[in-house]
Amino acid sequence: MNFNIGIADLIRVSPMIVLFLASLIPITIKVLRGNREQSSEATLFQGLGGLAAAAILQMTVYMAVSDSPNPMVFSNALVIDGVSFWVGIIALIASAISLILMHDNPATNGEQFSELVFLTLSSALGMLILVAAADLLVLFIGLETMSLALYLMIAMSHEQKLSKEAAFKYFILGSFASALFLYGVSFLFGTVGSTYIPEIIQHTGQLISSNRLFLIGIVLVILGFCFKVSIAPFHAWTPDVYQGAPTPHAALMATAVKAVSFAAFLRIITTKSLVGSENLFTILQWLAVLTMILGNVAAIIQNNFKRMLAYSSIAHSGYILVGIITVGVSERTSFGASGVIFYLVGYSLMTLGAFAIVSLFEKDENSKIQIDDLAGYAKRHPVMAFCLTIFLLSLAGVPPTIGFFGKFYLFTSAIGEGLIWLALWGVLNSVISAYYYLRPIVVMYMKEGDIEDAGSIMNPTRVAILVSAVFVVLLGIFSGPIYSIVEKALS
Amino acid sequence: MILSAITFLPLLFALVVLLWPNTKTLRHLALGLSIIEFLASLAMLAHFDSSTASLQMVERFTWIERFGISYFLGLDGLSLWLIMLTTFLTPIVLLGSWNSIQDRVKGFLVSVFVLQTAMIGTFLAMDAIFFYLFWELSLVPMYFMIGIWGGQRRIYATVKFFIYTMLGSVLMLVAIIYLMFMTQETLGTMSASLLDFYRLKIPFIGGQFFTLQTLLFFAFALAFSIKVPVFPFHTWLPDAHVEAPTPGSVILAGVMLKMGTYGFLRWTIPLFPEASEYWAWLFMTVGVIGIVYGALVAMVQPDIKKLVAYSSVSHMGYILLGLFTFNQFGMTGSLYQMLNHGVSTGALFLLVGMIYERTHSREISKYGGLAGVLPLFTIAFFIITLSSIAVPMTNGFIGEFLILLGSFKAEKAFAYVAVTGVVLGAVYMLWMFKRVFFGEKGELVKDEHHPLHDLSCREICVLVPMVVMVFWMGLFPNHFLDFSKASLDHLVADRSNYQLAIMGDKAEVKAATTAFNKAEASQ
Repeated sequence: MNFNIGIADLIRVSPMIVLFLASLIPITIKVLRGNREQSSEATLFQGLGGLAAAAILQMTVYMAVSDSPNPMVFSNALVIDGVSFWVGIIALIASAISLILMHDNPATNGEQFSELVFLTLSSALGMLILVAAADLLVLFIGLETMSLALYLMIAMSHEQKLSKEAAFKYFILGSFASALFLYGVSFLFGTVGSTYIPEIIQHTGQLISSNRLFLIGIVLVILGFCFKVSIAPFHAWTPDVYQGAPTPHAALMATAVKAVSFAAFLRIITTKSLVGSENLFTILQWLAVLTMILGNVAAIIQNNFKRMLAYSSIAHSGYILVGIITVGVSERTSFGASGVIFYLVGYSLMTLGAFAIVSLFEKDENSKIQIDDLAGYAKRHPVMAFCLTIFLLSLAGVPPTIGFFGKFYLFTSAIGEGLIWLALWGVLNSVISAYYYLRPIVVMYMKEGDIEDAGSIMNPTRVAILVSAVFVVLLGIFSGPIYSIVEKALS
Repeated sequence: MILSAITFLPLLFALVVLLWPNTKTLRHLALGLSIIEFLASLAMLAHFDSSTASLQMVERFTWIERFGISYFLGLDGLSLWLIMLTTFLTPIVLLGSWNSIQDRVKGFLVSVFVLQTAMIGTFLAMDAIFFYLFWELSLVPMYFMIGIWGGQRRIYATVKFFIYTMLGSVLMLVAIIYLMFMTQETLGTMSASLLDFYRLKIPFIGGQFFTLQTLLFFAFALAFSIKVPVFPFHTWLPDAHVEAPTPGSVILAGVMLKMGTYGFLRWTIPLFPEASEYWAWLFMTVGVIGIVYGALVAMVQPDIKKLVAYSSVSHMGYILLGLFTFNQFGMTGSLYQMLNHGVSTGALFLLVGMIYERTHSREISKYGGLAGVLPLFTIAFFIITLSSIAVPMTNGFIGEFLILLGSFKAEKAFAYVAVTGVVLGAVYMLWMFKRVFFGEKGELVKDEHHPLHDLSCREICVLVPMVVMVFWMGLFPNHFLDFSKASLDHLVADRSNYQLAIMGDKAEVKAATTAFNKAEASQ
């Protein structure tokens, strides 16, 4: 192997380079100012600028590369394709909205805001690497860059008890998952002789049924991802971490982190190991069903809003896993994969919106928002209450929101592959989920109370919420073209 | 253009109401807008060509190309009167709720208009996903209507309503997606158009439950049965009705329940002819059970509104029975009964609402002797009662008579049991009427601190159109049925190979006729 670093390669990773440089700006300024924070607006502005620049470059690079015959970067370490582009954009947008939440949330906007911006952008950098990785080791590097930044972000919270516990839990279980993943990679390397994903794909058909060690490797890698995307029974850390972490960080974890982890999962599953191993196929299906049921049933009995959203996010992992399984067995990979990507777009938007509303309520780092606390919100802030209603109905899958069309595309591809029973479990679970998604709406509109949210009348969080709500509806109604674009990008 | 206007004008009206600055004139504005909508639907009626069974005034654009989903609206004799019913009831509901809704008027009016769009869209959509969209969307405004402006146990009732209905419809969604893949196999391209669904030949094996057509049939039938509601699935209805505010009850009983029976008529029966025929006994049985059970339970209700709610279960049983006779009489009767039920039960809920506004009680035992105090109210209530128990010359008679005739032709045993429902209906309605209006004055009626006032001018305006419709539909049924005759004839005659052509579209007509000829030849 020869390592030629051409200028072309550097241009192709320019979003990552820009992101890295931008992440250094706020802390450098802080150091130059003698360890004093500049105004938080300026910090926020620098962070958002970095993310926006990365997004624009991401788009330009994708446009330029999508026609070229060789989309690989750095001797097959990274790949620029539909998945890396679309999920990368999701990750950048979600990071941007999370940054806005961090700025407005009293729990995170304090002495160390510059450091938070640095960590968020570093985490986003890890995400971009993760979604573009074509090699299992590069994938691991992306995963760890993203996760390490997150561990620190959660631990940095001023809140002393829950957040520390959350950070610790997340760190230990995250490391455990990474270890599983790396252990699996070692098996794959031992049997295939390479960690390059396309090469593994080539050998899967023949190795999966004959070579036990290869199978163990694949299973361990998949298990590692099941931890990361909180598939039951590996989900136990999720509710505690989401609840304990400051809300903006929870929003980041529930959307961007989840989306990119699923994108990497998607790359692994295209090895078609599910076609070769009947057992793995069966087990994953049951895990999907278990995740949906467990997430939804557990969400019903939650009183804490964030915890409910955490369980709801577990349930959504179950739905997405249905899509992942579909991709794993499908001949037409792009059909199922675009369903997954579209779902990730929708899921990220509506979950971000819901978390943003929670963040709006938090007066200090010790705020605990119970669902019943929302009573009377519709009278106080009809627009915000209506936005939350849209997010929740979309999460429940009521048309014409993006949540409905996401589920529609996901389950349509599942039914197309003959996985009708998984689709049935999926739709029945959306009925169960309607029960708890309706609860905050009931409390907001039908109970008397006088809750006041903590935010000022026009703060950036409110704007982010409004924009997300509008997009949840608009992207639902005009989902057709977007789905087609995604599908074209993936084929 | 006209169908899009009819469907989406109310949504625009909702926006207008939302942005209207003056809260005092909100109600006037909404009433005016709903009357404009009614006039628009009259224009649609004037354009309607009653000589053909084809879809008219069709509007069709591709919406989601990848899955063959289109924006597809079409009108025929099956949907025409249900739309007229919707646009007719809305101004009446708004006028009827003039004083009863005081809190958050704006939100209420917006809900009514959004609901109107959802209901009309459900009746007009000829694309499965488009249809599903309206079908589910209708839940949301009704959910708020019951939940915000409802009675004591409104939250329980509204959540039950939402979850119950959603449970039924998600299985239908899976069935729709499956049918879309079937169109891909047989027609080459994926399509969600109902007309393409009609072209499918879905394999049917009688007697085996887990076969394709039977499963698909039940997936659709379950969704519609819950909405109707058919006997074992009716439990959400009394809760929802009792807790809903008067306008909510009127719309729920008047139009939303018809979405279920319309679904049977438009989707289940023509799409799955063999399965419908094979399982007709089941639906006729539950229909008859619904008739008798609803009547018996209505008889013992201490609450007037609950009584009317259970009478709905009974009346909807008739409609279901008529649909599954598959003959001219039964199906015509069912379609007519859908309208009758909308008028008479809608009017009953309005009347119950009026008396509730005066006394804040619906308990039958607290009334008595109302006839002496409120003569006009009594007259109106009596006329509507007669319509509800299907006395000749009122609209109810035509519908029930046709359904009984049809079921007698189809299966005598069901007719025998169903006839008892006529008697039972008279029993519970007249008995209630006696207890409320005659006899000794009840505690609420003789309460001297709160003297009761007879119908106000506004209330008379609400009731007059209803009473007029009762007699018009009772005396001149052909004024209405002539519009639907072609469509119903087509459905009855060609049920086993039902195709719908689009009026004026040569290619569609040709495709439909060739498909039909092929089927003829193969027979």
